Amino acid sequence: MNFLRGVMGGQSAGPQHTEAETHQNEDRIFKKNILEIQMNQKTTLKGLGISDSEIIGYALDTLYNIISNDEEEEVGKFPLILLCFYEFDFHVRWPGVKLLTSLLKQLGPQVQQIILVSPMGVSRLMDLLADSREVIRNDGVLLLQALTRSNGAIQKIVAFENAFERLLDIITEEGNSDGGIVVEDCLILLQNLLKNNNSNQNFFKEGSYIQRMKPWFEVGDENSGWSAQKVTNLHLMLQLVRVLVSPTNPPGATSSCQKAMFQCGLLQQLCTILMATGVPADILTETINTVSEVIRGCQVNQDYFASVNAPSNPPRPAIVVLLMSMVNERQPFVLRCAVLYCFQCFLYKNQKGQGEIVSTLLPSTIDATGNSVSAGQLLCGGLFSTDSLSNWCAAVALAHALQENATQKEQLLRVQLATSIGNPPVSLLQQCTNILSQGSKIQTRVGLLMLLCTWLSNCPIAVTHFLHNSANVPFLTGQIAENLGEEEQLVQGLCALLLGISIYFNDNSLESYMKEKLKQLIEKRIGKENFIEKLGFISKHELYSRASQKPQPNFPSPEYMIFDHEFTKLVKELEGVITKAIYKSSEEDKKEEEVKKTLEQHDNIVTHYKNMIREQDLQLEELKQQISTLKCQNEQLQTAVTQQASQIQQQKDQYNLLKVQLGKDNQHQGPYNNGAQMNGIQPEEISRLREEIEELKSNRELLQTQLAEKDSLIENLKSSQTASDMNEQSSTKDSEQITELKQELATLKSQLNSQSVEITRLHTEKHELLQKMETKSIPVQGENESIIASKTTDVEGRLSALLQETKELKNEVKALSEERTAIKEQLDSSNSTIAILQNEKDKLQLEVADSKKEQDDLLVLLADQDQKILSLKNKLKDLGHPIEEEDELESGDQDDEDDENEDGIKDQDHI
Amino acid sequence: MTYAYLFKYIIIGDTGVGKSCLLLQFTDKRFQPVHDLTIGVEFGARMVNIDGKQIKLQIWDTAGQESFRSITRSYYRGAAGALLVYDITRRETFNHLTSWLEDARQHSSSNMVIMLIGNKSDLESRRDVKREEGEAFAREHGLIFMETSAKTACNVEEAFINTAKEIYRKIQQGLFDVHNEANGIKIGPQQSISTSLGPSASQQNCRDLGSDAGCC
Repeated sequence: MNFLRGVMGGQSAGPQHTEAETHQNEDRIFKKNILEIQMNQKTTLKGLGISDSEIIGYALDTLYNIISNDEEEEVGKFPLILLCFYEFDFHVRWPGVKLLTSLLKQLGPQVQQIILVSPMGVSRLMDLLADSREVIRNDGVLLLQALTRSNGAIQKIVAFENAFERLLDIITEEGNSDGGIVVEDCLILLQNLLKNNNSNQNFFKEGSYIQRMKPWFEVGDENSGWSAQKVTNLHLMLQLVRVLVSPTNPPGATSSCQKAMFQCGLLQQLCTILMATGVPADILTETINTVSEVIRGCQVNQDYFASVNAPSNPPRPAIVVLLMSMVNERQPFVLRCAVLYCFQCFLYKNQKGQGEIVSTLLPSTIDATGNSVSAGQLLCGGLFSTDSLSNWCAAVALAHALQENATQKEQLLRVQLATSIGNPPVSLLQQCTNILSQGSKIQTRVGLLMLLCTWLSNCPIAVTHFLHNSANVPFLTGQIAENLGEEEQLVQGLCALLLGISIYFNDNSLESYMKEKLKQLIEKRIGKENFIEKLGFISKHELYSRASQKPQPNFPSPEYMIFDHEFTKLVKELEGVITKAIYKSSEEDKKEEEVKKTLEQHDNIVTHYKNMIREQDLQLEELKQQISTLKCQNEQLQTAVTQQASQIQQQKDQYNLLKVQLGKDNQHQGPYNNGAQMNGIQPEEISRLREEIEELKSNRELLQTQLAEKDSLIENLKSSQTASDMNEQSSTKDSEQITELKQELATLKSQLNSQSVEITRLHTEKHELLQKMETKSIPVQGENESIIASKTTDVEGRLSALLQETKELKNEVKALSEERTAIKEQLDSSNSTIAILQNEKDKLQLEVADSKKEQDDLLVLLADQDQKILSLKNKLKDLGHPIEEEDELESGDQDDEDDENEDGIKDQDHI
Repeated sequence: MTYAYLFKYIIIGDTGVGKSCLLLQFTDKRFQPVHDLTIGVEFGARMVNIDGKQIKLQIWDTAGQESFRSITRSYYRGAAGALLVYDITRRETFNHLTSWLEDARQHSSSNMVIMLIGNKSDLESRRDVKREEGEAFAREHGLIFMETSAKTACNVEEAFINTAKEIYRKIQQGLFDVHNEANGIKIGPQQSISTSLGPSASQQNCRDLGSDAGCC
């Protein structure tokens, strides 16, 4: 065996070892045979002819025949067999498949383990599904069935190897439910892969394979015949749907499959079968069960189911049609059970549905015409029919309409039933207890007691209603206390439960049946121990645990129809608390009562606050939204406001500036008085320009006066050629003035330049402002608009006025610059005159110097002659001759000159 | 929901490196601090979008324990992508990478894209394997590399998506036979094959793959 494993490279598994050792002898004999086969196998694999394959085929066949009855030897050969799946030859493959299938059937777990650990083992076997030869493919399906049986790991690998896709393809190719036994085999394999394998179910759902199930149920309404194979196939198909939505699956998994089944139309298709005619009863039953589980606890699907109508005239709701079957004695038992299951699944976690069912019993909504039968009517009819099965089913169905729904428990108290003519109507609750006390069949009484227990639990008002009928408590105590036979024990237990519920959920609103009094009654009439023992009969019943296992009411025969699944949950919940409540002393009870009351109060307070918080939450949410919208609005408004404020501020600034400007304007420019507002910068500039112009004017005046001075100076110079000192002084003054003037001219020039620049700038600014004013006038709102509009026109007027002004000023400036050029020319000419004069002055000075020299010479001559004259006079005197003082030679002019000259001489003498 | 392509992934690596947590974070966007040992293989699925194409990822999360090694080997062949995960706080999980890689190379199709993942990057203080070592290993063996944290979800999305991008790129280069489902790739129900061939887009993807600066 180990040798064989070695050939395959497979691992040896522990348990097989021991097996091998115990059968060493057989093993040795076997080895010989296998060795030979293996040799052949190897050569065949190297590509020898068909005859060899045939031999191998026969050999394998022989082998199959030999070992098919010998369980112990299989394991060792096993990996060798895997080899034959590398061989495509039919004669090798087919017997190989059959051999392995047989091995798997007889030694499932071991063979599965070996295949699992053989490299590519499962993959190889999966290739069989793709084999072009149908025989091999079909036997491959059977092999895989055996391979996947109760082995999750292999199931997953097979699924991973695209088994779903392949099998669904085969089913489609074979014609779905109309296909032969191959379809059945594929469906069984699919079931193997999916049942209790959450990972594969998830993969199936995620792979969108649920959608591919829908066409399976497109069963024509025509009587194309329902072959046994078709019924089997459809049955398996329905079961496959149920595998995916089983109540025992994880809740999330089931609900996602339920949703997918509604979305792809599978549920709708199933409902079509439900309402079709000519469908075989077992298919119909299984379809009802399937629909039940597809809608169970899934609101969307439940809502859809409530809307389904039977194609009758007039159309009736599917629910009503189904309930009719449930309370119909002639319908098959399994079908009636299925309908009950469907109804239960419809109401499971479906408060809306529960309300709808109960409402059909309420006085206000009962159809007075009586034309259409309602669900409520059918249930009441069933409840009080002579058929105990109908009684039981209707009671359980009605109990499901109350499950975990306090509102409906209270609503159902309002239901009144008309009895015989002349008698007043009886409440439904009263009627139930009436029938109970009449001692009908056990099934009926069990059904009614389950309904009453469900109704009264968690509903003090219903308890009060129940206790209000003074016949009820004596009836219950009587039932419990009596020493009855074994078959009555269950009813006694249920009566104890009902009495216990009447104590546990008693709000002490009835004086005669307060908790304490009821407990005393038990103690006195039954005895606490006895009561608890009777209560315990329920969960000890042989059918109790069976019903508690799963929700579907699945009974082998009508006699077993005793417990409802949901009711077993209620018993589990209440048995303990009721036992405790009964054993408790009155003091403890009181204490507990107090605690309960305070708790209730607290609860009330808490619920009150909870509600308040809920309300406040809602309000908060609303307010939050409001705040956010308001914030948003506020932000928008604030930006608008800031925009407008800045606009207003701008305008104010402009206004103020213009006001100031206007004040100035008023002083010299009358026509612009009316302007109130102006661009902020322009008036300033203009005023500055005006000032500058003023300055320039004064400068010009100064220059003109200077010029005049210079003119007079020139005149002076011209006239006073003699006064050279003075001339010299004035000329220096002149040159100083000229430089001054030049400087002034330069400054003026630059001023002019800057002014012209400023003027152009002002122009552009003005232009811009004008544009702004135009654009601004749009966003400004309401009353501002008109003001701004008028302001704008004002401003425009002022602007044009200012423009005019600027133009005038410009002209002035131009005139001034012309004047200045003229002045400059004058200055130039005067400068040249000054230069000429200077020259003349120089000449004159030279002349003066010359004449001075002459004068000096003459003075020297004169002095000489004077000396001569003096000496001559002295000679004459000496000679005795008189001398006259006056000399005829000299003139008057000369005298003046002489005087002067005499002074000069004197000066010179001194020098 | 319809899709353009379906890619099958497997997640492999030593036990306790966070394979199941990576999958849970990717499919359910939640982290489960205490996770049961995976028995055999678990399945998860999610839709991602690459280059505007809906791509369905079907992911098989394998058990890391040695005893399940032979079972997990059965998943290599049919997978288009594998996330090979080690724990940056446990060197031995890094040391075992060679053996995992050998296994993967031996049993998978040659084109299988393998993304090397250093998980638990949130536990920086307990780090035992440097990021550079992971990068070097990936470079040496031609793998894509990322450090992730299934706890903080850091790079988890990127790890799965970048693997898909690489597979998509290989499809466009014609390296994968999209009609052979054994490669772990399936064309979506309403998809024509003409959508392939777009070298410019694939180069773009290639560049994207390298730059996973991320948070880790």
